[in-house]
Amino acid sequence: MNEIKITLNGKEVTAIKGEKILAVAERNGINIPTLCNDKRLEPYSSCFVCVVEVDGVRSLQPSCSTPVNEGMVIATDNNRIRQARKTALDLLLSNHYADCVGPCKQTCPAGVDVQGYISLIEKGKYREAVALIKEANPLPAICGRVCVRPCEVACRRNLLDEGSGVGVDYMKRFAADRDLEDVERFMPDKEPPTGKKVAVIGAGPGGLSAAYWLQQKGHQCDIYEAAPKAGGWLRYGIPEYRLPNDVLDKEIEGITGLGVNIFCNQKLGDNLKFADLNRDYDAFILAPGSQKGTRLGCEGDEAENVFPGIDFLKQMELTGKRPDFTGKTVAVVGGGNTAMDCCRTSIRCGAEKVYVVYRRTEKEMPANPIEIHESKLEGVEYMFLTNPVRVNKDEAGRVKSMTLIRMELGEPDSSGRRRPVEKPGSEFEMEVDYILAAIGQKTELSFLEDVNSGTTKGVLKANKWGDIDADPDTLRTGVENIFAAGDSVTGPATIIEAVAQAQTAVHSCHNYLMGIDVVPPSRVFYSRKDNFKEQVATEYAGLFVPQKRQEMPVLDPKARMNFAEVELGYTDENIVRKEANRCLECGCTAFFDCDLQRYATEYRADQKRFAGEFNAFDVDFSHPFIEFDRNKCILCGKCIRICREYVGANALGLVNRGFVTYVSPDMDGSLRDTKCETCGMCISVCPTGALMENYKFKPGPIEATPVRTVDFFGSEGVTYDLYNRSGFFMGADGAPGVVNPDGSIGRQQRFGYNVLNRLERIKTPLMKKDGEFVEVTYEEAFRVISEKIRASEADRNIFMAGARLSNEEMYMIQKLARAGVKTNNISSFHYMGRCHGYLNSSDDNVPFGELEDATAFFVVGAELTEDNQYTGFIVNNIRYRKGTPVKVITTKEESSMTHKADEVAKVRSYYSFIKAVNSLIVQQTLYNKMYIDDHCEGFDDYVAEISSLNIEEQAKEAGVPVDVVERFARQFTSNHNPVLIFSEKEVCPDTAQEIRNLAMLSGILGKRSAGLLCLKEKNNSQGLIDAGISAGRLPGGLEITGRDSLAVAEKKWGISGLSERTGSVKSLLMEGKFDNLFIFGEDPVGCAVDRETVADAISGAGFTVVQDYTLTETALLADLVLPATYPFETGGSFTNTQRVLQRFGKETESPVGMSNLRQIAEIASALGMEASADPDVILDEMFGFLTKDKNERAFVITEGRNRQAMFLHGADSLVKLFDEYFGGEFDNN
Amino acid sequence: METKVIVGLGSCGIAAGAGKVFETLNKLRDEGKADFLLSRTSCVGMCYREPLVEVVDGKGSVIYGNVDEKMAAEIISRHLLKNEIISEWVVRSESQETVDDTFFGGQVKIALRNCGFIDPEKIEEYKARGGYRALEMIAREKIAPEAVVQMVMDSGLRGRGGGGFSTGLKWKLTLNSQSDEKYVICNADEGDPGAFMDRSLLEGDPHSVLEGMIIGAYAVRGNGGVIYCRAEYPLAIKRLYIAIDQARKNGYLGKDIAGIEGFNFDLYIKEGAGAFVCGEETALMASVEGKRGMPYKKPPFPAESGLWRKPTNINNVETWANIPWIITEGPEKYASYGTEKSKGTKVFALTGKINRGGLVEVPMGITLREIIYELGGGIQGGKQFKAVQMGGPSGGCIPAALVDTIIDYDSVTSTGAIMGSGGMVVMDETTCMVDVARFFLDFTYKESCGKCTFCRVGTKRMLEILTRICEGEGKESDIELLEELAYQIKDSSLCGLGQTAPNPVLTTLKYFRNEYLAHIVDRKCPAGVCTKLLTYEVIPENCTGCTVCAKNCPVDAISGERKQLHHIDQAVCIKCGLCFTKCTFDAIRKY
Repeated sequence: MNEIKITLNGKEVTAIKGEKILAVAERNGINIPTLCNDKRLEPYSSCFVCVVEVDGVRSLQPSCSTPVNEGMVIATDNNRIRQARKTALDLLLSNHYADCVGPCKQTCPAGVDVQGYISLIEKGKYREAVALIKEANPLPAICGRVCVRPCEVACRRNLLDEGSGVGVDYMKRFAADRDLEDVERFMPDKEPPTGKKVAVIGAGPGGLSAAYWLQQKGHQCDIYEAAPKAGGWLRYGIPEYRLPNDVLDKEIEGITGLGVNIFCNQKLGDNLKFADLNRDYDAFILAPGSQKGTRLGCEGDEAENVFPGIDFLKQMELTGKRPDFTGKTVAVVGGGNTAMDCCRTSIRCGAEKVYVVYRRTEKEMPANPIEIHESKLEGVEYMFLTNPVRVNKDEAGRVKSMTLIRMELGEPDSSGRRRPVEKPGSEFEMEVDYILAAIGQKTELSFLEDVNSGTTKGVLKANKWGDIDADPDTLRTGVENIFAAGDSVTGPATIIEAVAQAQTAVHSCHNYLMGIDVVPPSRVFYSRKDNFKEQVATEYAGLFVPQKRQEMPVLDPKARMNFAEVELGYTDENIVRKEANRCLECGCTAFFDCDLQRYATEYRADQKRFAGEFNAFDVDFSHPFIEFDRNKCILCGKCIRICREYVGANALGLVNRGFVTYVSPDMDGSLRDTKCETCGMCISVCPTGALMENYKFKPGPIEATPVRTVDFFGSEGVTYDLYNRSGFFMGADGAPGVVNPDGSIGRQQRFGYNVLNRLERIKTPLMKKDGEFVEVTYEEAFRVISEKIRASEADRNIFMAGARLSNEEMYMIQKLARAGVKTNNISSFHYMGRCHGYLNSSDDNVPFGELEDATAFFVVGAELTEDNQYTGFIVNNIRYRKGTPVKVITTKEESSMTHKADEVAKVRSYYSFIKAVNSLIVQQTLYNKMYIDDHCEGFDDYVAEISSLNIEEQAKEAGVPVDVVERFARQFTSNHNPVLIFSEKEVCPDTAQEIRNLAMLSGILGKRSAGLLCLKEKNNSQGLIDAGISAGRLPGGLEITGRDSLAVAEKKWGISGLSERTGSVKSLLMEGKFDNLFIFGEDPVGCAVDRETVADAISGAGFTVVQDYTLTETALLADLVLPATYPFETGGSFTNTQRVLQRFGKETESPVGMSNLRQIAEIASALGMEASADPDVILDEMFGFLTKDKNERAFVITEGRNRQAMFLHGADSLVKLFDEYFGGEFDNN
Repeated sequence: METKVIVGLGSCGIAAGAGKVFETLNKLRDEGKADFLLSRTSCVGMCYREPLVEVVDGKGSVIYGNVDEKMAAEIISRHLLKNEIISEWVVRSESQETVDDTFFGGQVKIALRNCGFIDPEKIEEYKARGGYRALEMIAREKIAPEAVVQMVMDSGLRGRGGGGFSTGLKWKLTLNSQSDEKYVICNADEGDPGAFMDRSLLEGDPHSVLEGMIIGAYAVRGNGGVIYCRAEYPLAIKRLYIAIDQARKNGYLGKDIAGIEGFNFDLYIKEGAGAFVCGEETALMASVEGKRGMPYKKPPFPAESGLWRKPTNINNVETWANIPWIITEGPEKYASYGTEKSKGTKVFALTGKINRGGLVEVPMGITLREIIYELGGGIQGGKQFKAVQMGGPSGGCIPAALVDTIIDYDSVTSTGAIMGSGGMVVMDETTCMVDVARFFLDFTYKESCGKCTFCRVGTKRMLEILTRICEGEGKESDIELLEELAYQIKDSSLCGLGQTAPNPVLTTLKYFRNEYLAHIVDRKCPAGVCTKLLTYEVIPENCTGCTVCAKNCPVDAISGERKQLHHIDQAVCIKCGLCFTKCTFDAIRKY
């Protein structure tokens, strides 16, 4: 070994000479950021984010490609390096015309993940949606009604559909109302108690939110509220027709339900002394709100019947009495939402005339446009560009009239709105009975002195606007354990701003309580399209289908003379789903795993520092599975390289030079028109969201839980994660496993989850009664099954197990048959009529890891690009790196392997071809005599059989000239480490046997890095052989040759009387010689080549039981259907095509009440047999049968019977669904 | 002896009309007007005097400059037929002193030893001047590869492509790499704006390059070679093909070359598609392999793993051309020229605002002043010398104040410029240094391969900043931002292109910061180049009211009655300068 010593960040470490700095650092636990490096690929060095400093080298070095040398001294983190990395990121981001999150989330003061919860709502996951909202806003039912909705204003749908943004609030309300009505409402998890106590002053939106989050963090929160009830302005300011009190109460219950106490009628500085609180609490959140209404502020405003509007509203709520305005004229002054509440309430109190007096025009009104619209419907009249000058009183001091003046708009003021100026001489008088001034509120800080006299930890002060003085970034006040939030800090503002303030105050307060420095929450980097240019309608036109907003049903304006809620809420899920579908998904799907965003946050990148020209592209959706957004591309080249070096499709390349370079499919066309294999490797390596899955649903993005599993589609046994969000699969990605340590996966694994989402799963047993399936209990199902079995002769029962099942399931099925029912009628449709020839296909297979040293690959009837992509990757990568030749033998007109092969031979028959090769090897004595003598049996017989064969004729049958046969024979026998890859899907059993003969002839069977690689069709095809799914063979392949051979099983199982009768299950089935048929995890009817024959055979059963995920075509013919659990819902093991046995765990709870294993155990138990349902116990038991491999290497004489598979898709409904889905997506688009 | 008439048919000559001159002479000869041997040669370096016609007879050689068809006929009738030397046309002659003599005064021709003296399409002429003698010497004296490498080491020759790495050391590394296959490559992807040394050499003396490569292949035990020449040099490529063919026929390429048993070597020409970055050796090799021309990180260096991952020795055209001379004349003689660390000679392409633009080969150690004022004859139009740009887009500008800088690798580098491949662009007072920086950045930004972040996006951002400075929209913080970016790009780029791209900006900032400030703070371009910063004004004293300016103004910014003083409305003026050029009374001034 070339071991050397280097110094890494001051520490001496050992490394291998030539190793790259990045790799050495990673091995030593030092993370260096990189965007363009991938272990599977040769170093590229384009991003320059991974730079490090090497002593003695002037410039910074890209660590991904710089090899280490003896004595090298390297620093991976210092100011110079950080600056360089930041600049690299700044530069990349200056040409990254993309949004990390949508404008909805960007503009929401509380940062609610709107796109995320819309995604959940689309899937009907309302409770989940509420959970997501409540992470940022604990008041969804309230905000769903009365929020000012900056999100909807910012929504890009506005650009498309005439200003109707997505109905975010309507959907939020729908989800929140569902939750409020739910018996089991959403409650967040709580941290264990910290023993700390926090007093919150004020039970308005800010105080309630603060208490909600602090309580979750384990601190005991008590809220002190001055008013008789909690809610603050939510209760005392917003009238009930907009926000019913019971909704408010229920929402508050969502907070008190966590353990928060609310003490009402407790006013700080009045009947509540800070000094007292200070004894009991560790920290405080002040959220008393802005309580004081502003007076009209003109001459005579002290007149009777002139009130601040909010005092009017509050009084009404406090007293529960509604003033009688019948026949009266009310003038409301102001243009905000309080003015709306006042005018609409006045109408409801019977006023004859209600005027809104506003000094600007309607366009400038801060009130929600819907409110203005509704108020007009209700009869409110508007006097724009008008302002009060004087209130005129009668003798009793009551208001009599108001003198108003006309206004006009002048130059814009600091708020950007045009300043209203009086029109001289335009005064006029209007008779009114009441004037409500809705022109603002003030914070009342009467408690300052009380607080200051009760604490020694600092001084609480007012700021120059009369609000609480708090650090704007931490909201900590002058007193170290007092934090403030809401209107009392900001002055009168919105509910959602108060909630946002609570977030900050909670962050600081929590840090304080936990002894952590009180610093502002770290800023998350968001790339924004708005940083480049304003978004305009023309850019969106034509890209999306126009679709108007689903209108909110409202109370008939005529029926509104009361305080009943005006907006009625969406009525059904379809409408909500339609509205959800209007979301344009502006936020990036890759948000949660975007390296660029992560580093940009870490290095505090600045998107605007190098603002300049940028490249803008249309997003390419032309490929049904891969979405390509070049705007996000940072030209790391990983997609191009993985596709070329690893996958071998070479579907992508670079176009242009310099700044305008971009990644594009061949010839600048669509990815569909390339050799793209839809493996999704490009998606997995993309460090941003440039290459994404073309999702078939709203992906959010939302964080989902990875469910790790071993592939249950194909036979390679790759490990991967399915991303689950409460039962919905949001995506999949490879994970490092025993077979795929690099975490690569193929298309079935990456996109197969879509099929799972589409499955209509059976969750309870279904019994056919009068031709219809009805739900029955498990007990009932098992009772019927056991009765049917008991009523029949043992051998009139047939048990079929699919290649998708786990070893444990298979083992238990055959045990149930053999030990429980006493029959050997056990088989699988998967291998029906073919198994024998494949029995030893996987013996002595070359492990993936050994392929590296192969000297040539001979691919005989295996479409690695389609069916076995992982194998394809490995083979292609070795070919790319080492030049190892790939030779393809195919019967196909156009093999999908052609462009990855160095040589392609088209043959008519695999069997004839291999047999011709073998004959030639024997006849020209090219075989390895020494190996054969030492290791093999039956050679002489084989020679006798084959030496007389006419090679010319054989070649003719194979459809090739003799020299092709000879060339193959010579190449194969002369190669040092040839590996022959074939698949059971493509070659028939006799061919498989001849291939094995060939491997023995050339003396490579069992040799390291040489020999055979048989690709089985299904994840556990091998398991069928090993677990005893065979009439004639016990687990471990023990042949049943008579009574004695059964002794092993009888001893292990502690029983006697196992049947020794074995015979063709296929014959029994086809000839109808059976009563009961049990099919586990297979869909022979749906997958049959000859559907009618198979359906007839199955219909011939007296009683058929099918266990599967869904009502497959076979299940539809059954009398009883049992629901099946997914592998990762049960745990167990699969044996891959190279006989690597891999275990996987139970990762999620199943919606099916009972696991497959438990169901089998219950059936067994109904038959009086004891059986375990624990995969570990079962596997241990099964291991007892597995003897050491005999490694039998005997030449087999074959007859060339062409036993074609009777079933497609491996007889698995899941594979069938995937194949149909996959092909369909290409056909339909 | 028969009279010989030689026409300079390099690209420079052809561009100046030498082709037609050659035809005329040919015609005259065919018509029997005179009896002479008509021959061709290539550029002798006096590009500013092209077309050149040399007459060689018993009395010696006379070179006529700026010859056109008519003059050619006259040369025949007077010089050849009447034995009359037309002295006013002579640019060089043994019998007569000329103003152009100083052009050759300080030159030492090693690499260019045959250029302008032989017909490049004739191997005999090359051999007649000592060509292939070096190779034959090696064969005859059985000089071992190691000894050849040692000779090159001893000569002190450094890479003439711009890198300046010791050629001998490079060869040694390649020689020491173990492999069944090794390659030598000639980098003829000359791409610097204003540089044409390699082109002239290949056009004028292709065999010297071939011989150098053959010797190099022998020395590093290479068995395959590639000449990577940009396709924009058709004449060079044509002559190379001819030369290769001749070399093969003469046994200098192929098996057992020059009789050296077991020395098998051949080469081919790979035409580059004109990507500047392909002059970078790793990108060049990627391009030869048929890949996109993008550089990769060194190490491994080509000497260990280069073309097709085999040890490869890459040298520039000029470097190769020096080799045969070093072998025949001895390394000591080569090393006798130059300074302590820079030996031998260097070829420069003199261009820009200089009187005598052309190709010169000077010994290391000469000063810039000598080159510009003596060889180059000073600045055109008697204007003030401002700076010289050396090293192309990777180089920098050396200001007039440093005109006494000595030409060697270290001295040039210490100014912030680089020796580079030999481009020397001379600038006078009418050159805007910010605009020059912008020009070079525009070049590198366009020529970036697009691979690495700093070069791809960084050069673009630098260009944007420079552009806005030139357009009068610069911010005071721009200089700082420019400098920061410049250093970051130098520090963190993958290949030489990116690492050196900021040099023009850094050197102009270093020596001409005031010009930047003038653009940014005063919104003025002192050299009067940046149009958006110019003001055009009518000089009242000179204006005759002829209305020509007003008629030509495309935006009607000029008003004034006929025969009355005109006036330019500055708010409307787009600074196109038409009034300035159209005015015949010098009544418009720009500043």
